[in-house]
Amino acid sequence: MADRDEHPASHSLSRPFLQPFLAANAAGLWVAVAITLSLVLVSGFVATMPFARAPLAHSELLLPAYASATGLLEGITAALLFSLYTVQRNRALLFLAAGYLFSALIVPSWLLSFPGLFPAFGLEFGLQTTAAIATVRRIGFPLFVLAYALAPARGIPHGTARRSLIGAIAMVAGMVGLITFAIFASSESLPAFMLDGRRVDRLWSYVPPIALALYGLDMAILLRRRRSQLDLWVGLVLFSLVVELLLISYLGGAIRLSVGWWAGRLYGLVAASIVLLALLAETTMVYARLARTVAAERRVRQNRLTAMEALSASIAHEINQPLASMVTNADAALRWLAKAEPRLDKAEDALRRIVEDGHRANTVVTGIRTMFTTGTQERAELDLNALVEGAVQSASTEAMHGFIEIRTDLAPSPLTVVGNTVQLHHVLRNLIENAIDAVRIGGEWPRRVIVRTRLEAAGEVHVSVADNGTGIASDIVERLFDPFVSTKPGGMGMGLMFCRAVVEAHGGRVWASPNQPRGAVFHFSLPAAMVPAGDAPDMAGADQRGVEQGGAR
Amino acid sequence: MMASVVYVVDDDRSILASLESLLASEGYEVLTFDSAQAFLDAPVRTTPGCLVLDVRLRGTSGLEFQRELRRRGNPTPVVFITGHGDVPMSVAAMKAGAIEFLLKPFRDQDLLDAVRNGIELDRSRRMAESQMFELRERYAAMTPREREIMPLVASGLMNKQIASSLQLSEVTVKVHRSQIMQKLKARTLADLVRISDRLSGDAGKV
Repeated sequence: MADRDEHPASHSLSRPFLQPFLAANAAGLWVAVAITLSLVLVSGFVATMPFARAPLAHSELLLPAYASATGLLEGITAALLFSLYTVQRNRALLFLAAGYLFSALIVPSWLLSFPGLFPAFGLEFGLQTTAAIATVRRIGFPLFVLAYALAPARGIPHGTARRSLIGAIAMVAGMVGLITFAIFASSESLPAFMLDGRRVDRLWSYVPPIALALYGLDMAILLRRRRSQLDLWVGLVLFSLVVELLLISYLGGAIRLSVGWWAGRLYGLVAASIVLLALLAETTMVYARLARTVAAERRVRQNRLTAMEALSASIAHEINQPLASMVTNADAALRWLAKAEPRLDKAEDALRRIVEDGHRANTVVTGIRTMFTTGTQERAELDLNALVEGAVQSASTEAMHGFIEIRTDLAPSPLTVVGNTVQLHHVLRNLIENAIDAVRIGGEWPRRVIVRTRLEAAGEVHVSVADNGTGIASDIVERLFDPFVSTKPGGMGMGLMFCRAVVEAHGGRVWASPNQPRGAVFHFSLPAAMVPAGDAPDMAGADQRGVEQGGAR
Repeated sequence: MMASVVYVVDDDRSILASLESLLASEGYEVLTFDSAQAFLDAPVRTTPGCLVLDVRLRGTSGLEFQRELRRRGNPTPVVFITGHGDVPMSVAAMKAGAIEFLLKPFRDQDLLDAVRNGIELDRSRRMAESQMFELRERYAAMTPREREIMPLVASGLMNKQIASSLQLSEVTVKVHRSQIMQKLKARTLADLVRISDRLSGDAGKV
């Protein structure tokens, strides 16, 4: 954990890919399965103890199959780790992958040099060759793992990842080639590991303890650092290698092709397959999840684009309408004035409408600015009742023109919320104007809009604007708060979207319901402010600013 | 200026007012409607007219409304105005028989030209319709025998040929022929041919 914190960059780099390894359930299940199976296997092999040193005659026939299985498993694991490395670009992974590749590449020469296996091909090397190769492999792999365990989990840049991958593969291949060449070339002068083709000499007895010590060291480091689930898996692999070595070297008495020797080999093979399967499953899951994430991100970006397009189209329309009206009015005025008998009254009417249009365009621009400019983040304590009264006041002229009565039904005590005065004022204006429009288009007499405020028990403040107008068509009610959805002539196609954005930014929600017997009710709720005396001075200052801002409009 | 009326349907009140003023300044009688339904609910006028229609209307689109008018047999020419038109939209409108497709804000002269064209179109359509109506009445006044002979005369057959094909005397055919010319108010054979064409064209349409 501490290690990851030291490298925040690599952390963010590797997290998406390591997450599934860390995602407990599946991996935990795999670990449990692997451990259980390995215990079953070990106990099974322990049961063969009485016969462990009995040689299995002619069982060398099975060696090529065993060797190719081992080499293949290790090769696949290496490929998997290399591919993980290219994505994750974590140098530690490169060492681990190289270790597997090293192990896999050595297998052929080990098999070919095995005494008495391929006499037909004339492949008969010195007695010590196979054992020397086995020693290199036994000790080489844990050294690679050691490098993996000790390597800092640092991400490296994209371009170098590819190059270092090719470099690592070339290096491992070269190393294996050199070592095997050296061993084959000096097969006569190699140290004596073996007494004969089956039994070991005293020198060999040093090899298993060294390997075991390395395994133990690796495991200790990995378990201590435990950077990712992968460390756990590698630890498990090492454990299986320990068991394998114990079975081969001690239970089987290090006698080649004995029951114990085979038991160890088979155990190692099964353990490696399980680990590989687990890795494969995990990696597939990682990639599936990655693909899903990418697809989801693309969708989100697409949606955002569409919303922005809709929004800009809406804004363009909102500004274009008054502009078009102004141009036409100006044309009309010019024509009235150009007549043989100029009609000043008509020209005056047209000019007056131009003024109105100008104000209307300004309202749109102001609305957009309120929506997007900075400063809308400023929050202050405010009384929602006072805000409602202000909004009703500013809408009263419009209501009067439509012979509409706006009634208020306010909570008896002040409703304190923390919010942005300008934005919330706009929300209320929007909802009230919507209601007025709805009533004007199709309201029944008496034409009435009722604004209510209540303090809810759950520490919420509830505001509703009810009208007896046209109501909301059921097909549009779902999309009502989306941008560019409007049932209103020349209305802000983005009004309700703005309302929702503001209310949700204030930690509240907004919704609509049908009114009885007709019309619609728009509601929003905001969290009520706690009124702790201690915060008062700070808040009062902020409140002042908020009111000034509101008043300046 | 001859009597004509311009209907304006737009759900934006300020646009409506500005258009009303502009068109009135040119001496048109202007009727404004803030919804498609209001226009449909208004009594039908017999004066030649033109409809100025916003593409984006409350509840319905202007294009949809145009189709609805045609379905109802209202042939009033339509001039579209829109704040955000695109090519497919204008193509659809023109295909459906719109006079013009103007983008807001438009030049006043463009709109006035389009409206004048629309009204002219409506006027000539109405005239043709009333002439046709008259022709049909004259045609109805003819006897079955005259209706049988008329196409034969119009196709240029001589009285003698008509008489032999219908097994009538040449004199009878001659009488019928003058009756036909008189009832259809055709002065010459060429007149008769034209009238016959129009009547048969009309029949084909119905």
